[in-house]
Amino acid sequence: MNKRKVTLAAAAAGVLTGATGLSLLAMPAGAGQPPSLPPVAPETLVEQVLTSEPGAFGGTIEVDNKLGLPAIAEIPQLADGKHSGRVWTDGNGKMRLALPNGQSEQTIVDDGTTTWVWNSADNEVTKSERRADKPDAEPDAKAADPATAAKEIVGLTKEFSDISVDGTARVANRAAYELVLTPKASEKTLVREVRIAVDAELKMPLRVAVLTNGTAEPAGTVGFTEINVGPQDAKLFEFTPPANAEVTTPEAKEREGREKRPEAGVEQALRGEDPQVFGTGWDTVLGARIPTEAMTQVPAEAQGLVDRFTKEVSGSWGSGKLFTTKVATVLIADDGRVVAGAVPEQVLFDTIGQVK
Amino acid sequence: MITRQLGSEVRWMLRRPRTLIGLFGLVLVPIVISFGIWTADGDGGGPGIAAILRGNGMVVPIFTLFLSLNLLLPLVASIWAADGLAGEAQHGTLRGLLVAPVSRVRLLFVKLFGLTAMSLFAVTLMAVVGIIAGTAFLGNDGMMTLSGTTLTTAEGLLRIAFFVVLVTFQMVAVGAVALAVSATTEHPLVVQAATMTSIIVFQVLGQFSSLDWLHPFLITTGFPGLVDVMRDPIPFDQISDSTLLAGCYLLIGTGLAAIRLVTKDS
Amino acid sequence: MTTSASAPAAAPSTTAVAARTKGLRKEYGSTVAVDRVDLELPEGAVLGMLGPNGSGKTTTIRMLLGLVRPTQGEIELLGTPLPDGAEQALPHVGALVEGPGFHPFLSGRENLVRCAAFEPLLPKKQIKQAVEDALERVGLAQAAHRRFRGYSLGMKQRLGLAAALLVPRKLVVLDEPTNGLDPAGTREIRKIIAELHEQGSTVLVSSHLLSEVEATCTHVAVLHRGTVVAQGELTELLQAGGSALHVITPDVETALSALRQAKISARPLGDGLRVELAGTSAPQVIETLVKAGAGVYEATRWKTGLEELFARLTEAEEAERGMSAVDTLDGGAR
Repeated sequence: MNKRKVTLAAAAAGVLTGATGLSLLAMPAGAGQPPSLPPVAPETLVEQVLTSEPGAFGGTIEVDNKLGLPAIAEIPQLADGKHSGRVWTDGNGKMRLALPNGQSEQTIVDDGTTTWVWNSADNEVTKSERRADKPDAEPDAKAADPATAAKEIVGLTKEFSDISVDGTARVANRAAYELVLTPKASEKTLVREVRIAVDAELKMPLRVAVLTNGTAEPAGTVGFTEINVGPQDAKLFEFTPPANAEVTTPEAKEREGREKRPEAGVEQALRGEDPQVFGTGWDTVLGARIPTEAMTQVPAEAQGLVDRFTKEVSGSWGSGKLFTTKVATVLIADDGRVVAGAVPEQVLFDTIGQVK
Repeated sequence: MITRQLGSEVRWMLRRPRTLIGLFGLVLVPIVISFGIWTADGDGGGPGIAAILRGNGMVVPIFTLFLSLNLLLPLVASIWAADGLAGEAQHGTLRGLLVAPVSRVRLLFVKLFGLTAMSLFAVTLMAVVGIIAGTAFLGNDGMMTLSGTTLTTAEGLLRIAFFVVLVTFQMVAVGAVALAVSATTEHPLVVQAATMTSIIVFQVLGQFSSLDWLHPFLITTGFPGLVDVMRDPIPFDQISDSTLLAGCYLLIGTGLAAIRLVTKDS
Repeated sequence: MTTSASAPAAAPSTTAVAARTKGLRKEYGSTVAVDRVDLELPEGAVLGMLGPNGSGKTTTIRMLLGLVRPTQGEIELLGTPLPDGAEQALPHVGALVEGPGFHPFLSGRENLVRCAAFEPLLPKKQIKQAVEDALERVGLAQAAHRRFRGYSLGMKQRLGLAAALLVPRKLVVLDEPTNGLDPAGTREIRKIIAELHEQGSTVLVSSHLLSEVEATCTHVAVLHRGTVVAQGELTELLQAGGSALHVITPDVETALSALRQAKISARPLGDGLRVELAGTSAPQVIETLVKAGAGVYEATRWKTGLEELFARLTEAEEAERGMSAVDTLDGGAR
């Protein structure tokens, strides 16, 4: 009698454990109790962030994107939803970035002199020598690292924001201060506030969340889910192209016309030699003029894609297409003028006339 | 005593014509894949791991198992689980075992062991044939990972062994749930149908993003994450999540099977 | 007939018991398969379990073997309570329940080897020999290499018997062992049961073949509608069932009225009378008849067969008489 009861009880306990385990796995990892840290003045924290040297670290980054961007096949990491990647850096400019995309993977290795971009989906390596005049060889890679991204934001906007420290948080299992940058009332921006979790010990930003007007949830969050600070395996910052992979250069790719992405023209123009900058702080607007040939080169299907996610607008400045997300707006005039910023569309309409 | 019972169980499974046919079918998969990639023209074979198969024979076992995990391996596990209890009940041999006597808990343990041993055997067999066929058709120049790094053959073999263990565990988890079903019926086909229907339905449900609250509960959600074995360095979070998920299924399946067996009238 | 029933009482209770059930009841949902079964299987006995289909024979046997958990009641098997003591008792029990269960794709020998692997009392080294001996014993040595799938019904039955006899048993339970066997096979089974009996094993045979039970059993239990309606030693039961006298007389009418006056039960049968000897004796009957002036050409003692007993105990039309007989016989068995 007892043995049977014991067996049944053990079996029931097993089932219960399994079910509990399932629910635990299904639950999003809880933030846990916020750590208690000594108070810190916001200004001090900002200074510390700007002067901090993150050094070598490796970790997993999660991007939670609710910007409302269209899903673009070439850069699925930008589509709405959660995406994660892994990053390693030696703190001296060498870095490795692994971006899984479904079962494929894009690996970006910067070994200090050369940037290798490997994509398993097409078994191809793109190799670019780092040029002296362009230290940021891979801007995508830099932006994906929350530490760097946060530093840039802080640097650019601290004068135009009210800065405060709003409690503490636990990020990637590390204690952090929540630094909050709120655009000053005079700023005409879509951004309501930017919350930056700053590691209490290293003063290195661990998570950046952008909140926009009218929503309680962040429109975008970039943060570490796991980080280990310290020297990383040197082998990570080397890359040898696989034996049977095709190795090309970005220039060669361009010549083959393979970089014909619909947004490429806009991106190039705004990042180009001298984008025109209007205004300061949060409502800074970038302006540029896309060469006419680039406008007409856009393939028809890409044009269709553009049309689907933009709306036709016109005004005293002319007519064009407006592309909006929760944090940014881009206006492309039919004559090739482009303006973009973290601002409401009216600001762009007011600014586009100044584009040369 | 227990070792001879376990041995008898495995021998019995291996003597089944059905098992042999199943194993033969499984072994064909890596051969067909290697041959297919070898004859196909052009670049790699498609998305995911398929893209790096060309000239990379060591990846064939991983790709084969990864592909088979979605349907073929659960099917095989469900067949073994179905024959284990429902099949024995159908032939009247379950009574014989219980009268021998084999305690019901021990019987479940024997069945679970048989399932595990055979799953490991089947998966290892597929991997070995995959390595041979992959090397023969596609060449072997170390193992190229999804991250673009190249591992030595020894490292590659280690990865394959690790993947074999992971896949076997998933298979056993599916099989344990199938055993729970198997303990309730005398019709092996019911067990297979129920298991396979669940696997397929789970995979369909996994496609609906509106049901994403449900996804963490589905064992099939854990399958794709195992591909991380092919990344370098291996990120372990998805792999451990998948394995824990399968572990929960294993616990639930085994527990339910035990409850059913102990209370069952034969 | 009720009066003489108490005479052959109480013999079995003094001997040791191989199996015993008390107030056994099994419900499947709302149907009661077995109820109030008090069974006693004396050590060394060959107990024939009789009963029409659906009378609860197999359910009782399955409860005795720990396969089915009783809803109510107690079971004692070889001195340990079931189902919890199953692991101590069952190694000493060989069973063939509900037809032989084997794997069709294995040969007879392989099937037995698999059974043997799970026999706790069989050391590994002896498995091979035990299997060969069992095959020999049931006459399957020639066909042992063939797949079970190809066996005839009789061969399957023999293989089942071989599995039950892999190890020397204290108790052997055979559910319909002669099912599908030809007369020669049936004789062999009888021989095996007799051998087991000689060796001192206790045997429980359930059968619908009454002649079978009559030929091989020392004890009988009759089940009807889920309860034991009679049990005891075969000879005692048959006596208690009452014998009759077949009297051939030309004066049937005279004889009948005389017997009725003497309160002796009788009825016309063929060219004479059938006189029940319950509560009376043959000399008394003859004396009554002679006194009444009815000529008696011939008087034959008519012993009750098991078949008649069985029919009387289980036939629905005779429910009332049957019930009274049950009381009698049940009492007699205790």
